[in-house]
Amino acid sequence: MIEQIAAAAILLTTPILMAAMGGLVNRQGGIVNIALEAKMLIGAYVAVVVSSASGSWMLAVLAAALVGTVIGWLFSLTITRLGANMIIAGLGLNVLAAGALGFVMTILYGSSGTLRLPDTVLLPRLLPEGVSQIPLIGRMLAGLDPLTVLAWVSVAALPFLLGSTRIGLWIRATGNAAQVVRSVGLRPALVQDVSTAFAGFFSGLAGAHLALYSIGIFNEGLTAGRGFIALAAFYFGRNRPWPTAAACLLFGILDAAQIRMQTVGLPPRLMGALPYLMVLAILVLTQMRSLRRAK
Amino acid sequence: MTAIALGASHVWKSYGRVQANRDITLAVAPAEIHAIVGENGAGKSTLMRILQGIERPDRGHVIVNDQKTEFSGPAEALACGIGMVHQEFMLAPDLSLLENLVLGDEPVRGRGGPLARIDWAAAEAQGRELADRIGIEVDWHRRSGSAPVHIQQFVEIIRLLRRGTRILILDEPTAVLAPQQVNELFDLLRRIRADGTTILFISHKIREVTALADRVTVIRQGATVFSAALTETSADEIASHIVDGTPPPRAASERGAPGDGVLEVRGLSALSVEKSRQLRDISFTVRAGEIVGLAGVAGNGQVELMEALFGLIRSTGSVHLNGTDLSGLRPDRRRAAGIGFISADRGQEGLALAASIEDNVIAGSQRQPPIGKGWWLSRRALRRVALDRLGRLSVRYGAARDKVSSLSGGNQQRVVFARETAGTPPLLLVSQPTRGVDLNGIAAIHAILLDFRARGGAVLLASEELDELQILSDRILVMVDGRIAGELAADADRGEIGRMMVMEGAA
Repeated sequence: MIEQIAAAAILLTTPILMAAMGGLVNRQGGIVNIALEAKMLIGAYVAVVVSSASGSWMLAVLAAALVGTVIGWLFSLTITRLGANMIIAGLGLNVLAAGALGFVMTILYGSSGTLRLPDTVLLPRLLPEGVSQIPLIGRMLAGLDPLTVLAWVSVAALPFLLGSTRIGLWIRATGNAAQVVRSVGLRPALVQDVSTAFAGFFSGLAGAHLALYSIGIFNEGLTAGRGFIALAAFYFGRNRPWPTAAACLLFGILDAAQIRMQTVGLPPRLMGALPYLMVLAILVLTQMRSLRRAK
Repeated sequence: MTAIALGASHVWKSYGRVQANRDITLAVAPAEIHAIVGENGAGKSTLMRILQGIERPDRGHVIVNDQKTEFSGPAEALACGIGMVHQEFMLAPDLSLLENLVLGDEPVRGRGGPLARIDWAAAEAQGRELADRIGIEVDWHRRSGSAPVHIQQFVEIIRLLRRGTRILILDEPTAVLAPQQVNELFDLLRRIRADGTTILFISHKIREVTALADRVTVIRQGATVFSAALTETSADEIASHIVDGTPPPRAASERGAPGDGVLEVRGLSALSVEKSRQLRDISFTVRAGEIVGLAGVAGNGQVELMEALFGLIRSTGSVHLNGTDLSGLRPDRRRAAGIGFISADRGQEGLALAASIEDNVIAGSQRQPPIGKGWWLSRRALRRVALDRLGRLSVRYGAARDKVSSLSGGNQQRVVFARETAGTPPLLLVSQPTRGVDLNGIAAIHAILLDFRARGGAVLLASEELDELQILSDRILVMVDGRIAGELAADADRGEIGRMMVMEGAA
């Protein structure tokens, strides 16, 4: 039981974690990206289509990341060059992505809601099936895929990337005081574009993981608000990679637990709402605590 | 041998119909400290923007190291070694001082590129070396926003020197400093000069010009009107050139005998919210016919005290106005009880800049007759009241319907005073009344305050200008770290006030 929940929790965490790492960098650069959801959804669609057409999971993942990056970059341009409000633009992109995908699916595949394509290749497992014999963590290890490993590597690498590289310093400085960055001869708009494109890249990967980990089917409701959970996670983690990862893992565990509980006969809709309610409760609690500390 | 390190030759610049610079000529010798003085709006900022390559002159040109120069942009001026310290410091508050020092020119190990790893050890060594050379100590790992304000300024200067600045421009560098910190800054500038750096500093404080500069240039109405070595001129002569040949009108300062206590504050404390300063156990009295000055380095609780007294932030302890307990009341109730409030932030809190002059000057009176009639406003009564109030303080304006932002700083402030003194409240809470106001406007505002006192009004006056406090106040309270550190007579020695301002715990 615990084993199964742990294995499921890790894989359910991955997409949120990737989107959160992208959004975290973006927010340190001064842009609150509420369109992670849109880019995940588009990434998932692209991954399924490319996987089916090419027969290569790697091509599918790369395509999803590339499309996410390009959309992130364009999204950034509307904010940094055209002066769009980042919340309104993000909201717009979320609506646009959902609408456009529904439209494309109806036109191209004549299907509404769900897209099932032949020969979709799923993400491979990194370790041989034999490791599942190891007690406690065996099932989890057996389920490991390349994107999950990449997600956790990025958590470990980000503190260094943000803290000790030039681009990391530029991103943090831009989010903190853009006019200062301009005064020392750098271009804050460009730095922000890079950070938003980075968020798009990771959101695209997150979408690919959602679509290609186990089912290989695209569905309009596939992301189910995970982009917003990611947003909540880096707010909760105050833009620091490890605390943010912890918040993502918590959601993953809750999500895994509620799926198990559905199997014991508790009302599925109510159980499905549970992780989201928990996130809400935790956000309220942490906010209350920080308010009290400020006093 | 270079004769002119930085200069301007017959520079003209206009913005639309406004002629900001007309025939300005300036010559700053190498390793000289050169002061530029003039009233607000005299054209100093425009000239600085031209010298930095941000603006291009319509006619005339900039001179760098004896060469006529045309800058294509600020980057080129920077490359010529011209760097500027702005009034608002260009440091990112959440980054460390060290990160700010190297931002934009980071030392890296190995190859460059955005992903290159910053060599923090080398960065810190460079910072230490520069700091040693100009004789200061810096805790490089401190968050910039929490570092003392003069340290922030020093770091900004070091940053410019590190990037090869040989001509340093400082825009009113002492505005935010306490007297002791001003002395430290001046010592530092003298050491930088000794190193061969040329310094151009903008000021409107004649006292500082005479203390520091080798040479002074006065700008009035966009033109250079006077330039001389400090050894050949006097403070009075400089002042007379700043304001059109005549010395600035000074408000007569007669102090009467104060009457009964109007404002009684006992044990007032307020907790810190966000980044505000905590107030600790503040007690004092302001009597009728008395101006009590509130001195202190910016950010030691003056703003918070004013806000607490006016009910804008929550506080404990007691506040009585003419015997009435105001504790816990909201600002509108306190206003009704008889407090006028002049905010330090005229543009954000004092006025609605996008609204008309008449609306601004009657704001707060719109609910009562004659202006407010049930659900309706009487535009005619509104106009009448507005004109009456504006006339009483002789505000100079075009039409009452014009936006208040079309007025000069001094006239904007007079609009605020016209509104706040309209109901002749027994108490005025006044913060930085002459910030961004030119010399003539300052005299007018001082006259308003003195007139208010002469009619028996009580005033609590916070100002970062010690001169202003000493001219106007009957006595001065010094705030340090959210408490009243002491009380001094208005004619106390400046050094003593300064020492009290930077007592233990001061930011």
